[in-house]
Amino acid sequence: METIKNADFINALLPLAIIIFIIAIGVVLLNQHFQKNLSLQKLEQKVLKSNYQNELLRSSIHVQEEERKRIAHDIHDELGAVLSIIRMHLLMLEQQSTGNAAHLLAGLQNVRQLSETVLASIRSISHQLMPPQLETFGLIKTLESVIEPINQPGNIYIRLTSLPGMPDLPWLTSLDLYRIIMELINNTIKHARASEVHIDITYTEPYIVCTYTDNGIGLPENAINKGLGHKSIEGRVSVLEGTLEWGNQKEAGGFYAIIQIPVGL
Amino acid sequence: MAMNFSKIIIISSHLPILLTALYAAFSYKTLGHHLKVFSWFIFLSGVTQLMSLLFWFKSKNNMPILHFYTAAGFICLAWFYGTVLNNFINAKIIWSMAILFLLFTTINTLFIQNVFTFNSNALAVESIQIVILALFTFIFFLNNIVKESSKLDIKSLNWINSGLFIYYASVLLIVYFGATITQSFSKTLNRYTWMFHSFFSVVMYTCFFISLWKRSKTLTS
Repeated sequence: METIKNADFINALLPLAIIIFIIAIGVVLLNQHFQKNLSLQKLEQKVLKSNYQNELLRSSIHVQEEERKRIAHDIHDELGAVLSIIRMHLLMLEQQSTGNAAHLLAGLQNVRQLSETVLASIRSISHQLMPPQLETFGLIKTLESVIEPINQPGNIYIRLTSLPGMPDLPWLTSLDLYRIIMELINNTIKHARASEVHIDITYTEPYIVCTYTDNGIGLPENAINKGLGHKSIEGRVSVLEGTLEWGNQKEAGGFYAIIQIPVGL
Repeated sequence: MAMNFSKIIIISSHLPILLTALYAAFSYKTLGHHLKVFSWFIFLSGVTQLMSLLFWFKSKNNMPILHFYTAAGFICLAWFYGTVLNNFINAKIIWSMAILFLLFTTINTLFIQNVFTFNSNALAVESIQIVILALFTFIFFLNNIVKESSKLDIKSLNWINSGLFIYYASVLLIVYFGATITQSFSKTLNRYTWMFHSFFSVVMYTCFFISLWKRSKTLTS
């Protein structure tokens, strides 16, 4: 039987232990490097996913607004025009029928008044769908024109302040800001029991900052992010790659929201 | 008798290599990127084994071929692991390993173990590096993110990795105890050791063949 002659076990086993140690260290180091790269990849995936979702939201809002614009134009231009012609004919008929049967005249006046009501409704619906001034006169003028009739009854007073020299915003940015502010005003009127609202719009390059405050009862606890309106505001701010801070004012009471939107002019 | 039997085993151990190399050559066009890269290692093995067999038959020293094969084989394997672990392991790490090994094996051949002797040092270092890469690749293939995000044909590549791990782990032990074997054992037992080496080589090339055979036809592995 063959035997290992003069085998020195320490000399034989020590290098083997070192080799195994080197292998183990090598695997551990590679694994650590891999785990580090893996977390970076996870982060990249998250960013990509978030960008994709934002892009999806942006295109969905864009499509929605384009569709609203089309419907508003169709209502205003086609239905409105036809109804205006009807109204004109009714006026002419009224004039021609003077002296004839009084009940015919009364009927015509009634139909004309109805057509005027429909015309006013169509104008109001089409303006709500897409404010016509926004593209022509910009965000501030549009807001002023919307605020004026709200202030008239005297239940609530909305004060809009902005510094001169506001840049011309891209149409979609103006529209999104308009929708956000309208949603906030709507919420204040519906739920806040406020008597005063202050909207301040400023431009600090490259951001447009909108500060919204009211003197109402504020938001109930855990109410933020619960409603569809809130989600819609968040979605629009996210699409504009802006930031949104909102809640209840600690000292003065009431609700506040600060929206900061970068403007790529 | 034992001599003849072991001789037959050693010679027949070359068959799976040549068979795998032929299969890789025939199916090369249909292979995915990673398997194409790996095929170059199989081709290199096929050619060098054929040459060393010819040298052996003509009773010429075939050690220079082994010196060349050790260096070139590791470059091929580094290229293969580099492409498999791409995006998750910095390619510079693997190529640094390859360049350092190339330097080491050159120095070893020129100054330590000359080209006509068995290059146990280079083989041991190569085996250590391949065992590290193979063990890590097993961990790599188990990761769910790798499974989901990469388009690797893991089933097929696992066979290759297993073959490499089995062979190089055994080579490491044979090379490590090589000095003791050649000095302390009889020629018969020495031949048996190389029979074991041939057996592990057959296992490795069988794994490669299975890998090519079982490759995904849809994934660009």
